[in-house]
Amino acid sequence: MVLLRDGMCPGLDEGLVRGLRAADIKTVEDLVSSDMEELAQRCSVSYKALFAIRRVLLAQHAAFPVSGADLYEELLSSTAILSTGNPSLDKLLDSGLYTGEITELSGGPGSGKSQVCFGVAVHISHQLKQNVIYVDTTGGLTAGRLLQMLQAETSNAEEQMEALQRIRVFRLFDVFSLLDCLYGLCGGGLQRASVGGGSVKAVIVDSVSAVIAPLLGGKQNEGMSLMSQVAGVLKTMAKDFNVAALPLLIKEEFDLKWWSRSKEEGGGAAAAASGKRKRDETDS
Amino acid sequence: MTSQRRRREEEEVRAEMSESGAQLFARLEARRCLKDIEPRLFPGDGGPQHGEVVELYGSEGTGKTELLYHLLCRCVLPNAAGGLEADVVFVDTDYSLDMLRLVSIMESRLNAALSTSAASDEEACRSCLSRLLVVHCSSSSQLLLTLHFLENSFSSRPGLALLLIDSISAFYWPDRCEGGANLAKQEEKLSKCSELLGRLLRDYRITVFATCHAIRRSYSGPSSSSFSDPDRPYLCRAWQRLVIHRLLCSRQEAGNNMAATAGRRQVLTVHCTSSSSSGTKAHRSSSFYVTDGGVEFT
Repeated sequence: MVLLRDGMCPGLDEGLVRGLRAADIKTVEDLVSSDMEELAQRCSVSYKALFAIRRVLLAQHAAFPVSGADLYEELLSSTAILSTGNPSLDKLLDSGLYTGEITELSGGPGSGKSQVCFGVAVHISHQLKQNVIYVDTTGGLTAGRLLQMLQAETSNAEEQMEALQRIRVFRLFDVFSLLDCLYGLCGGGLQRASVGGGSVKAVIVDSVSAVIAPLLGGKQNEGMSLMSQVAGVLKTMAKDFNVAALPLLIKEEFDLKWWSRSKEEGGGAAAAASGKRKRDETDS
Repeated sequence: MTSQRRRREEEEVRAEMSESGAQLFARLEARRCLKDIEPRLFPGDGGPQHGEVVELYGSEGTGKTELLYHLLCRCVLPNAAGGLEADVVFVDTDYSLDMLRLVSIMESRLNAALSTSAASDEEACRSCLSRLLVVHCSSSSQLLLTLHFLENSFSSRPGLALLLIDSISAFYWPDRCEGGANLAKQEEKLSKCSELLGRLLRDYRITVFATCHAIRRSYSGPSSSSFSDPDRPYLCRAWQRLVIHRLLCSRQEAGNNMAATAGRRQVLTVHCTSSSSSGTKAHRSSSFYVTDGGVEFT
Protein backbone atom coordinates (compact mmCIF):
# COMPACT_ATOMS: atom_id res chain seq x y z
CA MET A 1 0.00 0.00 0.00
CA VAL A 2 1.84 3.05 -1.23
CA LEU A 3 0.21 6.37 -0.35
CA LEU A 4 0.12 9.06 -2.98
CA ARG A 5 2.30 11.98 -2.06
CA ASP A 6 3.24 15.12 -3.95
CA GLY A 7 6.62 14.94 -5.59
CA MET A 8 6.50 11.17 -6.07
CA CYS A 9 6.73 11.67 -9.77
CA PRO A 10 6.84 14.66 -12.17
CA GLY A 11 3.41 16.13 -12.55
CA LEU A 12 2.08 14.93 -9.19
CA ASP A 13 1.84 18.20 -7.28
CA GLU A 14 0.04 18.93 -4.02
CA GLY A 15 -3.07 20.29 -5.73
CA LEU A 16 -3.48 17.14 -7.77
CA VAL A 17 -2.93 14.92 -4.72
CA ARG A 18 -5.64 16.82 -2.86
CA GLY A 19 -7.96 16.55 -5.84
CA LEU A 20 -7.35 12.82 -6.06
CA ARG A 21 -7.93 12.35 -2.35
CA ALA A 22 -11.25 14.16 -2.72
CA ALA A 23 -12.11 11.63 -5.43
CA ASP A 24 -11.28 8.85 -2.96
CA ILE A 25 -7.96 7.93 -4.61
CA LYS A 26 -5.44 7.68 -1.80
CA THR A 27 -2.94 5.06 -2.87
CA VAL A 28 -0.96 4.18 -5.98
CA GLU A 29 -3.04 0.99 -6.36
CA ASP A 30 -6.28 3.01 -6.36
CA LEU A 31 -4.93 5.33 -9.04
CA VAL A 32 -3.70 2.52 -11.25
CA SER A 33 -6.95 0.55 -11.01
CA SER A 34 -9.34 3.42 -11.73
CA ASP A 35 -10.75 4.63 -15.00
CA MET A 36 -8.47 7.36 -16.37
CA GLU A 37 -11.09 9.27 -18.39
CA GLU A 38 -13.56 9.52 -15.57
CA LEU A 39 -10.87 10.49 -13.10
CA ALA A 40 -9.47 13.16 -15.42
CA GLN A 41 -12.91 14.74 -15.62
CA ARG A 42 -13.54 14.57 -11.87
CA CYS A 43 -10.22 16.14 -10.96
CA SER A 44 -10.30 18.55 -13.93
CA VAL A 45 -6.85 17.59 -15.08
CA SER A 46 -5.76 16.65 -18.57
CA TYR A 47 -6.14 13.00 -19.54
CA LYS A 48 -2.63 13.01 -21.02
CA ALA A 49 -1.03 14.22 -17.78
CA LEU A 50 -2.90 11.69 -15.66
CA PHE A 51 -2.05 8.85 -18.03
CA ALA A 52 1.61 9.85 -17.94
CA ILE A 53 1.58 9.91 -14.12
CA ARG A 54 -0.04 6.48 -14.06
CA ARG A 55 2.62 5.11 -16.37
CA VAL A 56 5.47 6.48 -14.27
CA LEU A 57 4.00 5.26 -10.97
CA LEU A 58 3.39 1.82 -12.44
CA ALA A 59 6.97 1.64 -13.69
CA GLN A 60 8.25 2.71 -10.26
CA HIS A 61 6.26 0.33 -8.11
CA ALA A 62 5.45 -2.75 -10.14
CA ALA A 63 7.87 -5.63 -10.31
CA PHE A 64 9.77 -5.73 -13.56
CA PRO A 65 9.63 -8.90 -15.66
CA VAL A 66 13.00 -10.44 -16.50
CA SER A 67 13.71 -12.82 -19.34
CA GLY A 68 14.40 -16.37 -18.23
CA ALA A 69 17.65 -16.45 -20.20
CA ASP A 70 19.03 -13.37 -18.42
CA LEU A 71 17.97 -14.68 -15.04
CA TYR A 72 19.72 -17.98 -15.68
CA GLU A 73 22.95 -16.29 -16.81
CA GLU A 74 22.95 -14.15 -13.69
CA LEU A 75 22.34 -17.16 -11.49
CA LEU A 76 25.17 -19.14 -13.06
CA SER A 77 27.63 -16.35 -12.46
CA SER A 78 26.60 -15.55 -8.90
CA THR A 79 25.70 -18.83 -7.22
CA ALA A 80 28.37 -20.37 -5.06
CA ILE A 81 28.35 -23.66 -3.19
CA LEU A 82 29.74 -23.49 0.33
CA SER A 83 31.10 -26.61 1.91
CA THR A 84 29.89 -27.20 5.45
CA GLY A 85 33.18 -28.72 6.61
CA ASN A 86 31.61 -32.13 7.09
CA PRO A 87 31.92 -34.35 3.97
CA SER A 88 28.91 -36.56 4.73
CA LEU A 89 26.75 -33.51 5.35
CA ASP A 90 27.97 -32.06 2.08
CA LYS A 91 26.91 -35.23 0.31
CA LEU A 92 23.45 -34.97 1.86
CA LEU A 93 23.14 -31.38 0.70
CA ASP A 94 24.26 -32.17 -2.87
CA SER A 95 27.81 -30.84 -2.39
CA GLY A 96 27.08 -28.09 0.12
CA LEU A 97 25.10 -25.02 0.98
CA TYR A 98 23.91 -23.09 -2.05
CA THR A 99 24.00 -19.32 -1.85
CA GLY A 100 20.72 -17.76 -2.87
CA GLU A 101 18.80 -20.52 -1.12
CA ILE A 102 17.42 -21.22 2.30
CA THR A 103 18.53 -24.43 3.95
CA GLU A 104 16.40 -25.23 6.95
CA LEU A 105 17.59 -27.47 9.74
CA SER A 106 14.85 -28.92 11.88
CA GLY A 107 14.93 -31.49 14.58
CA GLY A 108 14.07 -32.28 18.17
CA PRO A 109 15.89 -30.68 21.09
CA GLY A 110 19.44 -31.92 21.56
CA SER A 111 19.76 -33.36 18.08
CA GLY A 112 22.78 -31.29 17.17
CA LYS A 113 21.40 -28.48 15.05
CA SER A 114 23.28 -25.70 16.78
CA GLN A 115 26.51 -27.70 16.74
CA VAL A 116 26.15 -28.18 13.00
CA CYS A 117 25.70 -24.43 12.64
CA PHE A 118 28.76 -23.70 14.76
CA GLY A 119 30.71 -26.04 12.54
CA VAL A 120 29.46 -24.34 9.41
CA ALA A 121 30.27 -20.89 10.79
CA VAL A 122 33.76 -21.95 11.81
CA HIS A 123 34.45 -23.62 8.47
CA ILE A 124 33.27 -20.64 6.42
CA SER A 125 35.19 -18.12 8.49
CA HIS A 126 38.39 -20.09 8.75
CA GLN A 127 38.72 -22.20 5.61
CA LEU A 128 36.78 -20.14 3.13
CA LYS A 129 37.81 -16.84 4.74
CA GLN A 130 34.34 -15.37 4.29
CA ASN A 131 32.08 -13.57 6.77
CA VAL A 132 29.18 -15.13 8.60
CA ILE A 133 26.26 -13.52 10.39
CA TYR A 134 24.98 -15.54 13.35
CA VAL A 135 21.65 -14.49 14.83
CA ASP A 136 21.31 -16.13 18.23
CA THR A 137 17.84 -16.12 19.77
CA THR A 138 18.34 -18.83 22.34
CA GLY A 139 21.53 -17.68 24.05
CA GLY A 140 23.21 -20.92 23.05
CA LEU A 141 26.21 -19.43 21.29
CA THR A 142 29.37 -18.87 23.26
CA ALA A 143 32.61 -17.59 21.81
CA GLY A 144 34.42 -20.17 23.91
CA ARG A 145 32.83 -23.02 21.99
CA LEU A 146 33.68 -21.40 18.66
CA LEU A 147 37.26 -20.95 19.83
CA GLN A 148 37.40 -24.59 20.89
CA MET A 149 36.29 -25.65 17.41
CA LEU A 150 38.81 -23.32 15.79
CA GLN A 151 41.59 -24.67 17.97
CA ALA A 152 40.88 -28.08 16.56
CA GLU A 153 41.43 -26.69 13.06
CA THR A 154 44.51 -24.59 13.60
CA SER A 155 46.90 -23.84 16.44
CA ASN A 156 47.90 -20.42 15.14
CA ALA A 157 46.37 -17.90 17.57
CA GLU A 158 46.35 -15.09 15.01
CA GLU A 159 44.40 -17.14 12.51
CA GLN A 160 41.94 -18.09 15.23
CA MET A 161 41.33 -14.45 16.09
CA GLU A 162 40.95 -13.50 12.45
CA ALA A 163 38.40 -16.23 11.94
CA LEU A 164 36.47 -15.20 15.05
CA GLN A 165 36.41 -11.63 13.81
CA ARG A 166 34.64 -12.77 10.66
CA ILE A 167 31.71 -14.16 12.63
CA ARG A 168 29.30 -11.38 13.52
CA VAL A 169 26.85 -12.28 16.30
CA PHE A 170 23.46 -10.69 16.96
CA ARG A 171 21.63 -11.56 20.18
CA LEU A 172 17.87 -11.02 19.99
CA PHE A 173 15.00 -12.58 21.84
CA ASP A 174 11.78 -11.56 20.10
CA VAL A 175 10.44 -11.57 16.58
CA PHE A 176 10.26 -7.79 16.19
CA SER A 177 13.96 -7.31 16.93
CA LEU A 178 14.64 -10.24 14.59
CA LEU A 179 12.73 -8.52 11.79
CA ASP A 180 14.44 -5.23 12.61
CA CYS A 181 17.85 -6.89 12.45
CA LEU A 182 17.10 -8.70 9.17
CA TYR A 183 15.71 -5.59 7.51
CA GLY A 184 18.74 -3.66 8.73
CA LEU A 185 21.02 -6.26 7.16
CA CYS A 186 19.13 -6.04 3.89
CA GLY A 187 19.37 -2.29 3.91
CA GLY A 188 23.15 -2.02 3.96
CA GLY A 189 24.10 -3.95 7.09
CA LEU A 190 25.54 -6.81 5.08
CA GLN A 191 28.05 -4.55 3.39
CA ARG A 192 29.00 -3.01 6.71
CA ALA A 193 29.51 -6.44 8.26
CA SER A 194 31.98 -7.46 5.57
CA VAL A 195 35.29 -7.40 7.31
CA GLY A 196 38.78 -8.33 6.21
CA GLY A 197 38.32 -8.52 2.48
CA GLY A 198 35.61 -11.18 2.46
CA SER A 199 31.88 -10.71 2.08
CA VAL A 200 29.01 -12.17 4.04
CA LYS A 201 28.26 -15.57 2.62
CA ALA A 202 25.97 -17.12 5.22
CA VAL A 203 23.28 -15.92 7.59
CA ILE A 204 22.41 -18.38 10.36
CA VAL A 205 19.30 -17.87 12.48
CA ASP A 206 19.34 -20.02 15.61
CA SER A 207 16.48 -20.50 16.07
CA VAL A 208 13.42 -19.18 14.28
CA SER A 209 10.95 -21.24 16.26
CA ALA A 210 12.15 -19.78 19.56
CA VAL A 211 10.81 -16.35 18.57
CA ILE A 212 7.76 -17.44 16.63
CA ALA A 213 6.33 -20.26 18.74
CA PRO A 214 5.08 -17.93 21.49
CA LEU A 215 2.93 -16.14 18.90
CA LEU A 216 1.31 -19.18 17.36
CA GLY A 217 -1.86 -20.84 18.41
CA GLY A 218 -5.25 -19.64 19.46
CA LYS A 219 -7.11 -17.21 17.28
CA GLN A 220 -4.27 -14.82 16.58
CA ASN A 221 -3.23 -14.22 12.99
CA GLU A 222 -0.21 -12.22 13.88
CA GLY A 223 2.03 -15.21 14.45
CA MET A 224 1.47 -16.66 10.99
CA SER A 225 1.84 -13.28 9.35
CA LEU A 226 5.08 -12.54 11.19
CA MET A 227 6.41 -15.97 10.27
CA SER A 228 5.63 -15.27 6.61
CA GLN A 229 7.43 -11.97 6.95
CA VAL A 230 10.54 -13.56 8.46
CA ALA A 231 10.58 -16.15 5.69
CA GLY A 232 10.08 -13.44 3.07
CA VAL A 233 12.94 -11.27 4.28
CA LEU A 234 15.29 -14.27 4.62
CA LYS A 235 14.52 -15.29 1.06
CA THR A 236 14.96 -11.76 -0.26
CA MET A 237 18.29 -11.54 1.54
CA ALA A 238 19.38 -14.89 0.16
CA LYS A 239 18.46 -14.03 -3.43
CA ASP A 240 19.47 -10.39 -3.58
CA PHE A 241 22.75 -10.61 -1.68
CA ASN A 242 23.81 -14.13 -2.63
CA VAL A 243 24.04 -15.56 0.84
CA ALA A 244 23.05 -18.95 2.14
CA ALA A 245 20.42 -18.57 4.85
CA LEU A 246 20.10 -21.24 7.53
CA PRO A 247 17.09 -20.99 9.79
CA LEU A 248 16.74 -23.56 12.53
CA LEU A 249 13.41 -24.98 13.58
CA ILE A 250 12.48 -27.21 16.42
CA LYS A 251 10.18 -30.05 15.50
CA GLU A 252 8.16 -31.27 18.43
CA GLU A 253 5.42 -33.83 18.81
CA PHE A 254 2.77 -33.07 21.40
CA ASP A 255 -0.21 -35.05 22.60
CA LEU A 256 -2.56 -32.16 23.25
CA LYS A 257 -4.93 -31.91 20.30
CA TRP A 258 -5.35 -28.16 20.15
CA TRP A 259 -1.65 -27.49 20.53
CA SER A 260 -0.66 -29.94 17.83
CA ARG A 261 -3.34 -28.51 15.54
CA SER A 262 -1.86 -25.01 15.72
CA LYS A 263 1.66 -26.40 15.52
CA GLU A 264 0.69 -28.26 12.36
CA GLU A 265 -0.68 -25.06 10.92
CA GLY A 266 2.51 -23.30 11.85
CA GLY A 267 4.61 -26.19 10.59
CA GLY A 268 2.78 -26.26 7.30
CA ALA A 269 3.16 -22.58 6.68
CA ALA A 270 6.79 -22.51 7.74
CA ALA A 271 7.63 -25.47 5.60
CA ALA A 272 5.80 -23.97 2.68
CA ALA A 273 7.79 -20.81 3.21
CA SER A 274 11.24 -22.40 3.24
CA GLY A 275 13.32 -24.16 0.63
CA LYS A 276 15.55 -27.19 1.14
CA ARG A 277 15.02 -29.03 4.38
CA LYS A 278 17.20 -31.33 6.33
CA ARG A 279 15.84 -33.36 9.21
CA ASP A 280 18.21 -33.90 12.08
CA GLU A 281 18.00 -37.39 13.48
CA THR A 282 19.62 -37.97 16.82
CA ASP A 283 21.26 -41.15 15.59
CA SER A 284 22.60 -39.83 12.26
CA MET B 1 -8.02 29.56 -27.90
CA THR B 2 -6.42 27.51 -25.17
CA SER B 3 -9.47 25.28 -24.70
CA GLN B 4 -9.46 24.54 -28.44
CA ARG B 5 -5.76 23.70 -28.32
CA ARG B 6 -6.35 21.55 -25.26
CA ARG B 7 -9.14 19.67 -26.98
CA ARG B 8 -6.96 19.04 -30.03
CA GLU B 9 -4.15 17.84 -27.78
CA GLU B 10 -6.46 15.47 -26.02
CA GLU B 11 -7.76 14.11 -29.27
CA GLU B 12 -4.21 13.51 -30.42
CA VAL B 13 -3.40 11.75 -27.20
CA ARG B 14 -6.54 9.68 -27.42
CA ALA B 15 -5.58 8.64 -30.91
CA GLU B 16 -2.23 7.49 -29.51
CA MET B 17 -3.81 5.77 -26.54
CA SER B 18 -6.38 3.83 -28.52
CA GLU B 19 -5.09 0.68 -30.04
CA SER B 20 -3.28 0.59 -33.31
CA GLY B 21 -4.49 -1.96 -35.80
CA ALA B 22 -1.65 -4.29 -34.99
CA GLN B 23 -2.39 -4.16 -31.27
CA LEU B 24 -6.06 -4.84 -31.83
CA PHE B 25 -5.16 -7.84 -33.96
CA ALA B 26 -2.75 -9.06 -31.35
CA ARG B 27 -5.46 -8.87 -28.73
CA LEU B 28 -8.23 -10.54 -30.65
CA GLU B 29 -6.19 -13.11 -32.48
CA ALA B 30 -6.60 -16.40 -30.77
CA ARG B 31 -3.71 -17.14 -28.45
CA ARG B 32 -2.27 -20.59 -28.63
CA CYS B 33 -4.92 -22.86 -27.20
CA LEU B 34 -3.42 -24.85 -24.35
CA LYS B 35 -6.06 -27.57 -24.28
CA ASP B 36 -3.44 -30.20 -25.12
CA ILE B 37 -0.91 -29.01 -22.57
CA GLU B 38 -1.25 -32.15 -20.42
CA PRO B 39 -4.21 -34.34 -21.27
CA ARG B 40 -3.25 -36.90 -18.61
CA LEU B 41 -4.28 -34.44 -15.90
CA PHE B 42 -7.72 -33.39 -17.12
CA PRO B 43 -10.91 -35.44 -17.46
CA GLY B 44 -12.50 -36.29 -20.78
CA ASP B 45 -10.80 -34.78 -23.76
CA GLY B 46 -10.44 -31.59 -21.89
CA GLY B 47 -7.66 -29.35 -20.93
CA PRO B 48 -7.95 -25.71 -20.02
CA GLN B 49 -9.65 -23.68 -22.73
CA HIS B 50 -8.95 -20.03 -23.48
CA GLY B 51 -9.44 -17.82 -20.50
CA GLU B 52 -9.67 -20.61 -17.94
CA VAL B 53 -7.99 -20.83 -14.57
CA VAL B 54 -6.53 -24.01 -13.11
CA GLU B 55 -5.73 -24.13 -9.40
CA LEU B 56 -3.21 -26.63 -8.04
CA TYR B 57 -3.97 -27.15 -4.38
CA GLY B 58 -1.97 -29.18 -1.91
CA SER B 59 0.29 -29.13 1.11
CA GLU B 60 4.03 -28.79 0.82
CA GLY B 61 5.94 -31.56 -0.87
CA THR B 62 3.09 -32.73 -3.08
CA GLY B 63 4.64 -31.75 -6.39
CA LYS B 64 2.78 -28.55 -7.31
CA THR B 65 5.87 -26.58 -8.31
CA GLU B 66 7.24 -29.64 -10.13
CA LEU B 67 4.02 -29.82 -12.13
CA LEU B 68 4.44 -26.14 -13.00
CA TYR B 69 7.97 -26.85 -14.25
CA HIS B 70 6.57 -29.71 -16.32
CA LEU B 71 3.92 -27.48 -17.88
CA LEU B 72 6.43 -24.67 -18.41
CA CYS B 73 8.82 -26.96 -20.27
CA ARG B 74 5.95 -28.31 -22.34
CA CYS B 75 5.16 -24.76 -23.44
CA VAL B 76 8.57 -23.33 -24.19
CA LEU B 77 10.27 -26.28 -25.83
CA PRO B 78 10.40 -26.29 -29.63
CA ASN B 79 7.92 -28.39 -31.58
CA ALA B 80 10.61 -30.89 -32.46
CA ALA B 81 11.12 -31.70 -28.78
CA GLY B 82 7.44 -32.07 -28.05
CA GLY B 83 6.76 -28.49 -26.98
CA LEU B 84 4.22 -25.89 -27.97
CA GLU B 85 6.60 -22.96 -28.61
CA ALA B 86 4.41 -20.62 -26.60
CA ASP B 87 5.60 -17.76 -24.39
CA VAL B 88 5.06 -18.01 -20.65
CA VAL B 89 4.99 -15.52 -17.77
CA PHE B 90 5.95 -16.90 -14.35
CA VAL B 91 4.83 -14.80 -11.40
CA ASP B 92 6.89 -15.88 -8.41
CA THR B 93 5.48 -14.72 -5.07
CA ASP B 94 7.56 -16.76 -2.67
CA TYR B 95 10.89 -17.21 -4.41
CA SER B 96 10.15 -20.83 -5.17
CA LEU B 97 11.37 -20.75 -8.77
CA ASP B 98 14.55 -22.77 -8.96
CA MET B 99 16.12 -21.88 -12.31
CA LEU B 100 18.81 -24.53 -11.98
CA ARG B 101 16.19 -27.25 -11.55
CA LEU B 102 14.11 -25.87 -14.41
CA VAL B 103 17.10 -25.82 -16.75
CA SER B 104 18.10 -29.36 -15.83
CA ILE B 105 14.58 -30.58 -16.68
CA MET B 106 14.67 -28.65 -19.94
CA GLU B 107 18.05 -30.05 -20.88
CA SER B 108 17.09 -33.63 -20.16
CA ARG B 109 13.95 -33.25 -22.31
CA LEU B 110 15.91 -31.65 -25.14
CA ASN B 111 18.51 -34.39 -24.94
CA ALA B 112 15.91 -37.12 -25.01
CA ALA B 113 14.16 -35.63 -27.99
CA LEU B 114 16.84 -34.08 -30.12
CA SER B 115 20.07 -35.85 -29.07
CA THR B 116 22.33 -33.13 -30.45
CA SER B 117 25.76 -31.89 -29.44
CA ALA B 118 26.34 -29.96 -26.23
CA ALA B 119 26.93 -26.57 -27.89
CA SER B 120 23.70 -26.48 -29.84
CA ASP B 121 21.97 -27.84 -26.76
CA GLU B 122 22.98 -24.70 -24.92
CA GLU B 123 21.68 -22.59 -27.78
CA ALA B 124 18.41 -24.47 -27.78
CA CYS B 125 18.11 -24.03 -24.01
CA ARG B 126 18.77 -20.33 -24.29
CA SER B 127 16.13 -19.88 -26.97
CA CYS B 128 13.64 -21.77 -24.81
CA LEU B 129 14.46 -19.61 -21.81
CA SER B 130 13.97 -16.47 -23.87
CA ARG B 131 10.31 -17.45 -24.19
CA LEU B 132 10.00 -17.24 -20.40
CA LEU B 133 9.39 -14.03 -18.46
CA VAL B 134 9.89 -14.14 -14.69
CA VAL B 135 8.47 -11.60 -12.22
CA HIS B 136 9.02 -11.56 -8.44
CA CYS B 137 6.32 -10.04 -6.22
CA SER B 138 6.75 -9.42 -2.53
CA SER B 139 3.26 -8.32 -1.47
CA SER B 140 -0.30 -8.46 -2.72
CA SER B 141 -0.24 -4.72 -3.52
CA GLN B 142 2.81 -5.32 -5.68
CA LEU B 143 1.03 -8.28 -7.29
CA LEU B 144 -1.88 -6.01 -8.24
CA LEU B 145 0.43 -3.37 -9.72
CA THR B 146 2.45 -6.03 -11.53
CA LEU B 147 -0.65 -7.52 -13.15
CA HIS B 148 -1.50 -4.03 -14.42
CA PHE B 149 2.03 -3.70 -15.72
CA LEU B 150 1.89 -7.11 -17.38
CA GLU B 151 -1.10 -5.97 -19.40
CA ASN B 152 1.39 -4.18 -21.65
CA SER B 153 3.33 -7.41 -22.12
CA PHE B 154 0.16 -9.29 -23.03
CA SER B 155 -0.87 -6.75 -25.62
CA SER B 156 2.56 -6.51 -27.20
CA ARG B 157 3.36 -10.23 -27.25
CA PRO B 158 0.67 -12.30 -28.95
CA GLY B 159 2.77 -15.41 -28.34
CA LEU B 160 2.12 -15.15 -24.59
CA ALA B 161 -0.39 -17.85 -23.89
CA LEU B 162 0.28 -18.98 -20.34
CA LEU B 163 0.48 -17.24 -16.98
CA LEU B 164 1.82 -19.28 -14.07
CA ILE B 165 1.43 -17.97 -10.52
CA ASP B 166 3.38 -19.68 -7.73
CA SER B 167 1.71 -19.22 -5.41
CA ILE B 168 -1.48 -17.21 -5.15
CA SER B 169 -1.78 -17.96 -1.42
CA ALA B 170 1.64 -16.60 -0.43
CA PHE B 171 0.19 -13.38 0.99
CA TYR B 172 -2.78 -14.95 2.74
CA TRP B 173 -1.48 -14.54 6.30
CA PRO B 174 0.03 -11.05 5.89
CA ASP B 175 -3.24 -9.86 4.30
CA ARG B 176 -5.28 -11.40 7.08
CA CYS B 177 -3.18 -9.69 9.68
CA GLU B 178 -3.33 -6.33 7.91
CA GLY B 179 -7.07 -6.51 7.54
CA GLY B 180 -7.52 -6.85 11.27
CA ALA B 181 -10.91 -8.17 12.32
CA ASN B 182 -12.74 -7.16 9.15
CA LEU B 183 -13.06 -10.13 6.76
CA ALA B 184 -13.83 -7.93 3.77
CA LYS B 185 -10.73 -5.90 4.35
CA GLN B 186 -8.64 -9.05 4.75
CA GLU B 187 -9.74 -10.33 1.37
CA GLU B 188 -9.78 -6.97 -0.38
CA LYS B 189 -6.39 -7.12 -2.04
CA LEU B 190 -6.70 -10.65 -3.36
CA SER B 191 -10.23 -9.86 -4.57
CA LYS B 192 -8.90 -6.92 -6.55
CA CYS B 193 -6.16 -9.10 -8.04
CA SER B 194 -8.73 -11.76 -8.95
CA GLU B 195 -11.02 -9.22 -10.59
CA LEU B 196 -8.16 -7.79 -12.60
CA LEU B 197 -7.09 -11.29 -13.57
CA GLY B 198 -10.64 -12.01 -14.69
CA ARG B 199 -10.60 -8.97 -16.95
CA LEU B 200 -7.20 -9.92 -18.39
CA LEU B 201 -8.50 -13.43 -19.06
CA ARG B 202 -11.52 -12.08 -20.93
CA ASP B 203 -9.57 -9.47 -22.89
CA TYR B 204 -6.48 -11.44 -23.80
CA ARG B 205 -7.71 -15.06 -23.65
CA ILE B 206 -4.67 -16.42 -21.84
CA THR B 207 -4.66 -19.47 -19.61
CA VAL B 208 -3.67 -19.31 -15.94
CA PHE B 209 -2.28 -22.01 -13.66
CA ALA B 210 -1.88 -21.04 -10.01
CA THR B 211 -0.65 -23.00 -7.00
CA CYS B 212 -2.29 -22.66 -3.63
CA HIS B 213 -0.74 -24.01 -0.44
CA ALA B 214 -3.00 -25.93 1.93
CA ILE B 215 -3.07 -24.34 5.34
CA ARG B 216 -4.28 -27.29 7.30
CA ARG B 217 -2.56 -30.62 7.16
CA SER B 218 -4.89 -33.52 6.52
CA TYR B 219 -4.75 -36.11 9.22
CA SER B 220 -5.05 -39.79 8.45
CA GLY B 221 -6.56 -41.02 11.66
CA PRO B 222 -9.68 -41.17 13.80
CA SER B 223 -9.22 -37.58 14.93
CA SER B 224 -9.67 -36.26 11.40
CA SER B 225 -13.42 -36.02 11.78
CA SER B 226 -13.11 -33.31 14.41
CA PHE B 227 -11.23 -30.97 12.08
CA SER B 228 -12.68 -29.17 9.09
CA ASP B 229 -12.11 -30.56 5.63
CA PRO B 230 -8.49 -29.76 4.85
CA ASP B 231 -9.10 -29.40 1.11
CA ARG B 232 -11.80 -26.79 1.40
CA PRO B 233 -10.87 -23.65 -0.53
CA TYR B 234 -10.05 -20.79 1.80
CA LEU B 235 -9.12 -17.95 -0.52
CA CYS B 236 -11.57 -15.18 -1.31
CA ARG B 237 -14.78 -15.69 -3.29
CA ALA B 238 -13.60 -13.62 -6.25
CA TRP B 239 -10.72 -16.07 -6.75
CA GLN B 240 -12.87 -19.16 -6.32
CA ARG B 241 -15.30 -17.90 -8.96
CA LEU B 242 -12.41 -17.73 -11.44
CA VAL B 243 -11.21 -21.29 -10.88
CA ILE B 244 -12.62 -23.72 -13.43
CA HIS B 245 -10.34 -26.70 -12.87
CA ARG B 246 -9.09 -27.66 -9.44
CA LEU B 247 -6.22 -30.13 -9.10
CA LEU B 248 -5.81 -31.55 -5.61
CA CYS B 249 -2.28 -32.79 -5.13
CA SER B 250 -1.40 -35.21 -2.38
CA ARG B 251 1.12 -37.81 -1.40
CA GLN B 252 0.10 -41.37 -1.84
CA GLU B 253 0.19 -43.31 1.41
CA ALA B 254 3.07 -45.77 1.48
CA GLY B 255 1.06 -48.97 1.49
CA ASN B 256 1.49 -52.40 0.06
CA ASN B 257 1.69 -51.06 -3.47
CA MET B 258 5.36 -50.19 -3.09
CA ALA B 259 6.63 -52.65 -5.63
CA ALA B 260 10.34 -53.31 -5.74
CA THR B 261 10.52 -52.10 -9.34
CA ALA B 262 9.15 -48.70 -8.43
CA GLY B 263 12.07 -48.38 -6.07
CA ARG B 264 11.58 -46.05 -3.14
CA ARG B 265 10.15 -43.17 -5.16
CA GLN B 266 7.34 -41.25 -3.59
CA VAL B 267 4.22 -41.46 -5.73
CA LEU B 268 2.13 -38.30 -5.85
CA THR B 269 -1.50 -38.21 -6.88
CA VAL B 270 -3.50 -35.50 -8.55
CA HIS B 271 -7.28 -35.40 -8.44
CA CYS B 272 -8.82 -33.06 -11.00
CA THR B 273 -12.27 -31.52 -10.62
CA SER B 274 -13.44 -29.55 -13.63
CA SER B 275 -16.62 -27.55 -13.34
CA SER B 276 -18.30 -26.79 -16.61
CA SER B 277 -20.63 -23.88 -17.38
CA SER B 278 -23.67 -26.11 -17.02
CA GLY B 279 -22.77 -26.79 -13.39
CA THR B 280 -21.71 -30.40 -13.81
CA LYS B 281 -18.38 -31.60 -12.51
CA ALA B 282 -16.03 -34.01 -14.18
CA HIS B 283 -13.34 -35.88 -12.24
CA ARG B 284 -10.07 -37.58 -13.06
CA SER B 285 -7.27 -39.00 -10.96
CA SER B 286 -3.71 -39.49 -12.08
CA SER B 287 -0.44 -40.18 -10.36
CA PHE B 288 3.16 -39.36 -11.00
CA TYR B 289 6.56 -39.36 -9.42
CA VAL B 290 9.40 -36.91 -9.63
CA THR B 291 12.63 -37.91 -11.33
CA ASP B 292 15.76 -36.01 -12.26
CA GLY B 293 14.23 -35.30 -15.64
CA GLY B 294 11.01 -33.90 -14.19
CA VAL B 295 7.57 -35.32 -13.67
CA GLU B 296 6.85 -38.86 -14.92
CA PHE B 297 3.29 -40.11 -15.00
CA THR B 298 2.57 -43.68 -13.99
